Amino acid sequence: MEEGDRLHLGSATLGSRLIHGTGKFPSAELLAQSIAASEAEMITLAVRRLHLDGDRRSELEGLDLKRYHLLPNTAGARSSEEAIRLAHLARAAGLSDFIKVEVVGHEATLLPDPLATFEATSRLVAEGFTVLPYTSDDVALALRLAEAGAAAVMPGAAPIGSTLGVLNPHNIRLIIQECPVPVIVDAGLGSPSDALRVMEWGAAGVLVNTGIARAKDPVGMARAFAAAVEIGRLAHRAGLAGETGEARHGYGASSPTAGMPLG
Amino acid sequence: MTVGDPGEETALGPGPLRARLRASRLYVVTDDLTPLEKVPELVREAVAGGADLVQLRRKREPWAELVELARSLQECCRRGGAIFLVNDHVDLALAAQADGVHLGQGDATVQEARERLGERPLIGLSTHTPEQALKAQLLPLDYIAAGPVRATPTKPDSVEVGFQQVTAAALVSRVPVVAIGGLDEGASAIEAGADMVAVVRAVCAAPAPRLAASRLRQEAAGATSWRWIQLNGEPRKSPPGETVLQLLARLGVEPPGVAVEVDGRIVPQERLANEPVAEGAVVEVVHFVGGG
Repeated sequence: MEEGDRLHLGSATLGSRLIHGTGKFPSAELLAQSIAASEAEMITLAVRRLHLDGDRRSELEGLDLKRYHLLPNTAGARSSEEAIRLAHLARAAGLSDFIKVEVVGHEATLLPDPLATFEATSRLVAEGFTVLPYTSDDVALALRLAEAGAAAVMPGAAPIGSTLGVLNPHNIRLIIQECPVPVIVDAGLGSPSDALRVMEWGAAGVLVNTGIARAKDPVGMARAFAAAVEIGRLAHRAGLAGETGEARHGYGASSPTAGMPLG
Repeated sequence: MTVGDPGEETALGPGPLRARLRASRLYVVTDDLTPLEKVPELVREAVAGGADLVQLRRKREPWAELVELARSLQECCRRGGAIFLVNDHVDLALAAQADGVHLGQGDATVQEARERLGERPLIGLSTHTPEQALKAQLLPLDYIAAGPVRATPTKPDSVEVGFQQVTAAALVSRVPVVAIGGLDEGASAIEAGADMVAVVRAVCAAPAPRLAASRLRQEAAGATSWRWIQLNGEPRKSPPGETVLQLLARLGVEPPGVAVEVDGRIVPQERLANEPVAEGAVVEVVHFVGGG
């Protein structure tokens, strides 16, 4: 990270632009090591019923949650009411008012319900939450969410857990260009190159879970994603040649055209 | 599993039988000493005195006599508004159309009994350790017995487990808990977490069984009982005076990282220590788990 290049989300200021998911890790140890290796400062969490009998430990056991910015999600919600209830529970359980609004609108793909996402975002913003809605790659919806007061919008690159990468690069770029609030690309990022690409385009950050958790070596992959995010960010700040100057709309030789020792 | 919860559709089907079980306080088990022909009169007296459940426990009689006795007791309990169960014998329960069967740890398995009896009849199971009480929760049964609370000549080989076992069972049970073993008064077991007090000699060997049953019923009903609540979707018991913070402590969790909803309202962390757990409360305890 370059000095001074920090991501501001609500009351949080993040040095790392990689938000680390905590689901689906093979073990609590690997999760803790992976977060450490990624140097992520914000992690996502889910809210669930406590098991009454047997093993009550969760995979978060090995983490000191006070060391991180916590971004609880409303995963599992099927309506704005359910999302709002989960947000209230998360706030009551936690130490922050951050919430990643996630309302499933289509069971098979877990793609978000745009209307319920908008409704929950608006209401939670009004209640004082710092709201980061998970949304589809629809630019109009992203703009409406920003207008409703979302602290950032989180368009999915591909369906949750799919690791398919950026299915619609054009839309993701458009959202990044148009959105007045930070854009954090969430869901479906399968490889560090996916993360690098969206960071080059100017995404404010990425959220990666399955791409790390289900890698053969999650800790190594966490390190790889962190590096990719950093490179992508550096590239974006440096300004891609393809997006500036003479090369923008055509072709140009890389070597001088004058001074040829011929003829 | 919500077996035994009167207000809910259950795996075994809802029914007045289970609602009556929930309201029961006194459970009388027949002894071995009363002559067979005197048992119906004894049961009539016990039911008239207030027995909510009666269990026929006789081990040595010929089958035909047992069937005849069981049929007559079933009829007598039906008239008196009591629930009638038989000990061990699924066949006897079927032959007498009893309301159910009580099984010991070594008897026919609960699963087999359920398959043979169908959904309506009640099944109870004896438990003697906290592990047995916990394992029983996975079975298709309607109550568990915890004991023997005190050493008893009725079961000379059993080891006394005290009221601690009643409390241990109450803390894990989704179904009513019956305290049994050498009890001769009704309040202590209820205060320890039982829903019902089961007695043998205290009624069967009493000079006036009806009076004895009446006294025991009153003592049990008058004692401060544990509350039934819905905890994370399951029926559970909560000791009198328990606060939400104490409930969390016995579940082994503490804030932060935990949130509690009571009857749909979130209890703020600073109020957990003052929030009582009331009878019938719907309590949700959530915590953070891994997620994306």
